[in-house]
Order: sequence, then C-alpha cells, then structure tokens
Amino acid sequence: MDDKYSSNVLSSGKLGRVEVPNARLTRYIVLLLVSKLLKALGIFESYDLLKVVHIVQFIFILKLGCAVILVFFQKPFSSGKVISKRQWIKLLKHAVISCIISLLGFFGLTLCGPLRTLLLFEHSDLVVIALLSVLFTSSGGGPSKTRGAALFIVAVICLLLFDNDDLMAKMAEHPEGHHDSALTHALYTAIAFLGVADHKGGVVLLVVSLCLKIGFHTASRKLSVEIGGAKRLYALDNLVSSVVLLPWVIVLSATTESKVESWSALILPFGMIIFSVMILEFYVESICVTKMEAPRCARYGAIFLFLSGLLLANFWTHPLTDQLRTMSKSSQQDSTETEHVLSGGVIVSAVFFIMADSILSSPSKKGQKGTLVGYSPEGTPLYNFMGDALQHTSQSLPHFIKESLKQILEEYDSRQIFYFLCLNLAFTFVELFYGVWTNSLGLISDGFHMLFDCSALVLGLFAALMTRWKATRIFSYGYGRVEILSGFINGLFLMVIAFFVFVESITRLVDPPNINTDMLTPVSVGGLLVNLVGICAFSHAHSHGAAKSSCSSHDHGHSHGHGHSEHNHGHSHGGHGHGGHGQSSHGHSHGGGMNANMRGVFLHVLADTLGSVGVIISTILIRQFGWLIADPICSLFISTLIFLSVIPLLTDAAEVLLLRTPPELEKDLNIALEKIEKVEGVLSYRDPHFWRHSASAVAGTIHLQLMSDVVEQRIIQQVTAILKDAGVNNVSVQVEKEAYFQHMSGLSTGFHEVLAMTQHMESMKYLKDGTCIM
Amino acid sequence: MLPLSIKDDEYKPAKFNLPGKISGWFRSILSDKTSRNLFFFLCLNLSFAFVELSYGIWSNSLGLISDSFHMFFDCTALLAGLAASVISRWRSNDSFSYGYVRAEVLAGFVNGLFLIFTAFFIFSEGVERALEPPHVNHDRLLPVSIAGLLVNLVGIFVFQHGGHGHSHGGDDDHGHSHSMFNGSASHGHSHGGHETKHGHGDGHGHSHGGHGHSHDDPHCHDELHTPGKGSSKQILQGVFLHIVADTLGSVGVIISALLMQKYDLMIADPICSICISILIGVSVVPLLRESIGILMQQTPPALDNALPECYQRVQQLQGVYNLQEPHFWTLCTDVYIGTLKLLIAPDADSKWILSQTHSIFTQAGVRQLYVQIEVAAM
Repeated sequence: MDDKYSSNVLSSGKLGRVEVPNARLTRYIVLLLVSKLLKALGIFESYDLLKVVHIVQFIFILKLGCAVILVFFQKPFSSGKVISKRQWIKLLKHAVISCIISLLGFFGLTLCGPLRTLLLFEHSDLVVIALLSVLFTSSGGGPSKTRGAALFIVAVICLLLFDNDDLMAKMAEHPEGHHDSALTHALYTAIAFLGVADHKGGVVLLVVSLCLKIGFHTASRKLSVEIGGAKRLYALDNLVSSVVLLPWVIVLSATTESKVESWSALILPFGMIIFSVMILEFYVESICVTKMEAPRCARYGAIFLFLSGLLLANFWTHPLTDQLRTMSKSSQQDSTETEHVLSGGVIVSAVFFIMADSILSSPSKKGQKGTLVGYSPEGTPLYNFMGDALQHTSQSLPHFIKESLKQILEEYDSRQIFYFLCLNLAFTFVELFYGVWTNSLGLISDGFHMLFDCSALVLGLFAALMTRWKATRIFSYGYGRVEILSGFINGLFLMVIAFFVFVESITRLVDPPNINTDMLTPVSVGGLLVNLVGICAFSHAHSHGAAKSSCSSHDHGHSHGHGHSEHNHGHSHGGHGHGGHGQSSHGHSHGGGMNANMRGVFLHVLADTLGSVGVIISTILIRQFGWLIADPICSLFISTLIFLSVIPLLTDAAEVLLLRTPPELEKDLNIALEKIEKVEGVLSYRDPHFWRHSASAVAGTIHLQLMSDVVEQRIIQQVTAILKDAGVNNVSVQVEKEAYFQHMSGLSTGFHEVLAMTQHMESMKYLKDGTCIM
Repeated sequence: MLPLSIKDDEYKPAKFNLPGKISGWFRSILSDKTSRNLFFFLCLNLSFAFVELSYGIWSNSLGLISDSFHMFFDCTALLAGLAASVISRWRSNDSFSYGYVRAEVLAGFVNGLFLIFTAFFIFSEGVERALEPPHVNHDRLLPVSIAGLLVNLVGIFVFQHGGHGHSHGGDDDHGHSHSMFNGSASHGHSHGGHETKHGHGDGHGHSHGGHGHSHDDPHCHDELHTPGKGSSKQILQGVFLHIVADTLGSVGVIISALLMQKYDLMIADPICSICISILIGVSVVPLLRESIGILMQQTPPALDNALPECYQRVQQLQGVYNLQEPHFWTLCTDVYIGTLKLLIAPDADSKWILSQTHSIFTQAGVRQLYVQIEVAAM
C-alpha cells in the first residue's frame, strides 16, 4: 500500500519524492541505529558465548529470559482475549518451528562467524520477499529489482567462493568443540556430506534458514492476528518454546558435562544478548515500522546493521577490545586466533548486500522518462509517456546495453567506429596481458597509453550515438552539437599530445637516449597491422560515401620511446578515431555529414598508419646504422604534422561554437536577405542571426519591420520559405509594425516600475534603446 | 531601407600593420582590469618559466628544462584566457552576428579540458610511480616548489582582488564587464626524475602557474548591456575553490618534498600527485559541465525555474492559444536568448501580445527574444 501511495504522490507533479520531514524521523532513525548496533554487538557476544555453552542450552536460556521479561511487560495472560485450545496447539507448532529456525541460525553462527551471519541472516522480510518474487515469479517488479536480486546472489556467491577463510578450514578438521550432541553431529555430517568447507556449509545453512524464517514470519501473521497482536504472540511464543526446549536441556545437562566453570559470570553477557538481540530489536523495529514506511525502515536497518557488523568485526579481535571485554576469560584468548577474519570477499559481499538491500527495499517508482509535448494552460509541462516508459519502471542494465548496441549497429559510421574500437581494445588488452605476464613495465605502460588513446575513439562513438538523441526540454535544439564538441575535444586532445611529443623529442634531440629496440618492432608492427585493418574497414566506407565533401585530415602517429630504466620500448599507437567532426566546416553536406565524418576517421587512421611506418623506419635506421637521432627527428616531424593538420579542424569547430554564420551559407544568405527586403510590405530587417547548430540544423532569427497595412502571416511565410531555401531550417521571424513601437514606448513607462521592482534596470535601458534605434 | 550591414572594406585594415595592431591589443588588454591582471600574471609566469629554462640550460639540467616546457604549456592556458578576453571584445560583424562573446566560454572550456588532461597525466604518472617509486633526487625540489607556491599566491591575491573589483565595478561606460576568472588555476605537481635512465636523476619540483579561465562578460552588442549578477556567484565560488585546491596542491608538493628530504618517504611523492590530480579533476568538473551546457545551447539552469512560470503567464494572455518551440539558450554568461512561437486567435491583438510577451521574458532575464506569431486557422 505504501508503495502505491508514494508513486501516486510522485506522479502528481512533484519532482522529488515526497518524504516525511526528516527532523521528526531522525529520532527513530537514531533509535534504529542504536538498536542495530546493540544487536550486532549481541551477535558477536553470543558467538563468543557459543564456544562455551551448548547451543540448545544457549537458545533455551535466551528464550526463557526473553519470555520472563516479555510476560512481565506484555502480560499476555491477564490482558487480551482468552486463548482457545486450538490456538494453543497452533502456538505450540509455531514455537517448535521458531526453535528449529533459531537453532539453525545460531548453528550457522557457530560455523561462519558473527559477521557473515549478520550479513546473511538479518535481512528484513521485505527484502527477501522481493528477492524471491524476482527469482520465482515472472513479474518480479521491474529491472531494478532484478538488479538488486542479482547483486544479492553475487554477494552470496562472493561469500561462498571468494571468502578465503583459511583459519576456518583448519577448524573444520577437529570440530569436537561443539559437536557433542546428536543434533549438531547430524548437521555436521550433512554439511560434510555436501562436500563443502565448514563455513561454506554455514553459509548455505544460513541462507536456507533465512528463507525458512521469512516463510515462517509470513505464515505467523495470521496467527498473530488471531492471538491479538504481534507482541503478544512473541511473548507467548518465547514462553512456549522455552517450555518445549526444557526437556531437551534437562537431558543434555544430565548426559554431558558442561564446560562452563561458573554460570554467574555469564549472567551479564546473557542479559546483554537477551536485551539487545531479542527484546530491544523487536520493539524498536515494530515502532519504526509504524512510524516510518516499512521499506525505509528495512533499508536503514540493514545498512546500519551491516556497517556496525563490519565495524565490530574489525575491532572485535583487537587487543584493546579484549581488555575491555573483561567477561571473556583468558582461557579463550588462544581461540581468538581462529576467529573469522575480515577478508576481501567478505567486504565485497557486504557492499553488495548493502546495495542489494537498498535496491530491493526501495519502493518501485514509475519511470519518469517522457518527451515534452508542450505546456498546459496552467503552465505545467506536459510529457508524452511512450509505452515503454510506462512499462519499465527503470532502465534495466542488460536491456540498456542491448539497446545501445542496437543503436550503434544501426548506423554505418558508428558501427565502423565500434568495430575498430573493439579491435583496438583487443590489441591493447593482449598487450596488457602479455606485459603483465612477462612482467614488462614498458609493455604495460604502453598498453595504458593505448587505452588512453582509445578514449578518443570512445568519445567519437559516444558522440555519434548522442547526436541521435531527441531534443529535450533542457536541450531544446537537440544534441547535434555533441558531434562538434567531440570533434573539438579530440582536436585539442591531439594538440596536447602533439605538444608533449614535440617537447619530448626536443629534449631527446639534445640528448638522444640509447633506445633498446628489441620490443620496438613487434609492437609497432602490431600497431601497424591494427591500423591497416582499420584502413580496410574505413576505406570500404569511404568508397561508398560520395566523396563530395572535403574533410580536414589530421593525422598523427607518434613514437614514444620512454626512457624507462630497464625496458625501453618504442610505441606506435593504434588508430585514434575521431568520430564526429569534419562536417562542421563542410556545410554542403545535406545529410552527408556522416560521410565526412567517416572520411575524417579514415584519413586519421591512414595517417596513424603512416606514423607507425615512420616508427618502423626509425627503428630500422637505429638498428642498422645506429642513428639514434632518427627517432627524435621522426617524432618531431610527426608532431608538427599533427599540429598543422589539427588546426583547420579546431578553427572550424571553434567557429561553429562561436555561433558564426556558416561560411558556406553566407552567399545564399546574403541573397536571401536581399530577397527579403524586396518582399512587399517589408520595411527593413534587423538583427539577422544565423548559426549552425549541428551538421544538419541551421538556426536563424530575424526581426522584420513591416508596413502597418500588410498581413503578417503571409510575410512570415514568405520569409520563412526564402530562408528555408537558403538552408536555414529552424527560423523564427519576429514581425514588428510601426504601431507596435508606439505601443511599446507607451507601455515602457509602465514597464519601468515593474522592472525597477525586479531590478532589471539595465535591460530596461536596452528596451528603450531598442525603441530609439527603431 | 538602408542596408544595415556594411560590406565595405572598412573593417579590414588596408595593409597589415603589425606595430599598430600590437599596440592596439596592448591598449585593449590594459584597458580592462581583468585582462590586465591576467596579462601581468602571464608575464610573471613566463618570466618564471624563462628563468627556469635559462637556469636549466646553464646548469645543464634536463629536468629543469622539461619542467620549464611544462610551465610554458600551462602558460598557453593563461594565454588562451587572455586572448579570449581580448577577442570577446571585438565587435560583431557580418559572419559573427552575435559578436565574439562566446570566446570566453570557449576559453573556459579549453582551459578546463587542459586541466583535465594535465590531471590525467599526473594521475597516470602518479600511479606508475606509486607502483615503482623512483629515486627522486630532491635537491632542487624544494626551492622550485616554494617559488611556484609564491607565484601561485601572487596569482590568488591578484585574482581575488580582481573578484573584488568585479563586485565593485559596474558603472563604467562600457556597460559592465564582470569577470569570473579562474585566473590562478595553478596547480602544483612534482615530477621527479622521469628520465632516470639518463643517469640524470635530478628530480625537480614543478608548480604550475595559473591558467586563466576567463569568463568575463563584456558587452556583446551595443544593445546588449548586461547587468552582471546572479549566476556568476556559483562560478566565482567554484573558481575560488579551485584556486584553493591548487594552492593546497603546491603546499602538498612542498610537504612531500619535505617528507622525502627528512624521512626518505619516497611514496609521499606519488600519493601527493595522485591527490592533487584528483583535486584538480573534481574542481574542474563544474566548470566543464557549465561551459558544455552553454556550448550545447542548453536551456540555462538559471532560467529553469523562471521559464515555466513565464510560459504560464504568456499563455494566460488574452488570445494566446498555445506556445510552441520554446528555445532558450545562453550566449555568454548572463546573456540569455530565446525564440518561441505563439499561436494566437485570429482576432487577437498581436502587437499587445508581442509586447507583453517581451516584457514577461525580460523580467525573467532574457535579453533577446524572438517571438514568431502565428495566427491559428479558424
């Protein structure tokens, strides 16, 4: 119900989620935090106690103490309605099951330590139900829930596989510490039969008992209504289960001898555990659930619990805390070595658990993606929710990847860039792995350089994708400019690289280092091959694309011979694809901008190939003739080449970004403006602004002064048509008639006060000026 | 009926007059406070770099030479800021109908990108060196880095002062050019001997001078006198944070130099440079985001709240049926331009609607508005 409610609030026009004011809730959250911290403390303490006390005895004492306190507080017998015989039987069943579950849980605790128990066992019902519904029903509640479930499972797997709890494995060899009863022995043999290590068995056990617990809680809800409240049920349940356990405990204490020296020393820890784990947590949880939304409560609780568990696990075995824990006897000191240590796997899985919990417990919200349609008469923006925006509550990750892959492969140029990127990345990774394998620092750093270069390719690809996005409310002209921006960024990037290569080659010219050429040739040949493949791929595209638009070719290959202390290596970069530029300058690309783009990439790759050929040549020269100077000269030459070739690209992109009137349209526009002046009824025009927004969009605005007796609409249409012919496809024409200015100047005195109030004196001046000019 | 644009050769000088041009540039640089500050700081930086270079050549220390080249590279950013502040004052002409005001934004963007690049390079080098700490000879590290810090401090002082000037200024006849300088975006990082192979091994500290991210906003059109206020505050704040981060960076270099000198903690250097690069990267992100937004013709965030209200008010005007294709974008800082189409009733008073619309959007802060009025078919 809460879920429904919050999504209703959400869709009713508020942008953020409506939450209860925090000030009022802070109290409860702090309470929750304290109770969870105490609970974690209690679990850790009970793990220590379970080393001494038999598990059944332990549970019996817990239940008994809890029952005594609860009976005292809740008075289940004196208050409420009388419990019938059938209900007593149900209660008995309930108690037996709860005993079994807590037995399993605490047994799991002995097996895998307190931290792992906290992580596995203490999920709230909400989380687990959401998880199970994702796993076993078709309509789990959207991709975000699926993601949460996946995280949860990954976390469990992390605990199972990557938790190198070596010390526990040793302990599994001789578990006589606590397998002195038939029950525990049976459990041990069951785990040993499964053929897993001890703590892994504990993990499995805990997961199973977690599921049991949740099922049990759900089933007991009906009973709690019958009995009259969850609190009463809890009290009675504790009482009955302590009665159920009593005979077993008597038999146990008669047959086996206890290891406990003095029960009196254990009273305090037991009291602590009973208070923190059984009572306080129960009450606080129930209060918080009523005061806050259940999902929120569950989320905060889980996060607090896990964090405090992590914290305690870190400090529990610390010598300082050992001193604090006076009740733990020195006899147990030796056992602290076999404590379950914090390993990387546990931390990772804790992080995953926290994420999974927060995802699974969050109420599913409605997707907010929609395209802007317009504004309602009240001024609120209206969105058009497409079908899938309503169906998907959030973007699913695999779905997203699939979609973007589809988009990439849809268009020819982005597909080419993508394939080439894949090739480049593969080459890089091979280089990296080989470098790691042979432990060659030179290869590794070369691989990283390649990765850095791939970022340009990624940028181009991303820009090619982003260009196709629809215009939104914020980006009202669409994302076409991304292409130009990415071209600009790539150009700058190349310039920086050229500069660095230049500087390095100069310093090396002064003092030519002795380059070890062993690694140079295979790497540069590999790079050359990759580039050749790129050329093949792109030349194919190139031959298809009508070569009508000339494109700025910029090219760079460069050799870094890093003077590493041991491994010198030449380094010929693979191709850098600069997607998304070129069309900026060559405006007569009516939809042919993509071709220009492809051409740019092609030329770029070609130049890279030439660069790596240069590296190979310089290598040969060095090897054959010992001309060490060949390398810096080569890179000097190459860097100059890059620098020169980037400049046209940069100027073109900068012109577009500076809102220049597109140069290739300039002539057409001048003719068009002359035509506009000749249109009947037009007095003059002012402020003609035309600028290229993206490859395909040219926007323009113009003010027209009309005679007072003409029809505005006709003129607007004529002017728009004229400008459309000239290539401007996003025009807005403001017509002004004589009367309008008189009107404006008449109004402006009234304006003045308004504007003075809003402190826009300057702009007021502008308006006045405007009227004066006109 | 006069042609409003003059296509004579009046704008172009008859012959290339270099001394005249240079003196003109000088005058225009010195006429404005912010560009003057930038210029002086650039001079300071350049002289520092030259001293470093000449000393490096004299003592034949490759480290110092390459460090001075790095400094020159950083000076290019400052130079870009200076050039932008000059260019942006150019008049609008035929092809640049809006003038060159966007040069400011572009310069900020370029500088931000440069900073990101530098941060990335420092980061990768820091990681590389953290894995395998080289032996850094820290003889010359400390004096150089302290000198760099001093230069940075001067930069901070100057530009903070400039910021003050911004808050004071505003009544000169140029309209009002307020500046948000990222002026002393100086970042210190230490490159310790990455040419150990040469047997050189002399580490050298290297604290970059400032990069001017000039965002100032001179008058763009004669008619676009801009009241500079409002959104500049966040930028100024960001810039100040940035400067502080950079100074902290060069302090970090000094600390790491000291650590290395006193305790031989070689790991201090890469850790310091990684921290510095992260600081730079984080501090640049807002600047980049903002300038990309402007360059992409984003609806200005400053208007984001005001616009729906304006639409509402326009639509409540008598005779307005609908409002279509609203495009609002930022020309340069605080100059917003908008176009929209209004669908009005055939019998409505279009002039009144036009003037009302203009007044509504002017109050929201839109300087230039183009309203295309379309009469709905009956």
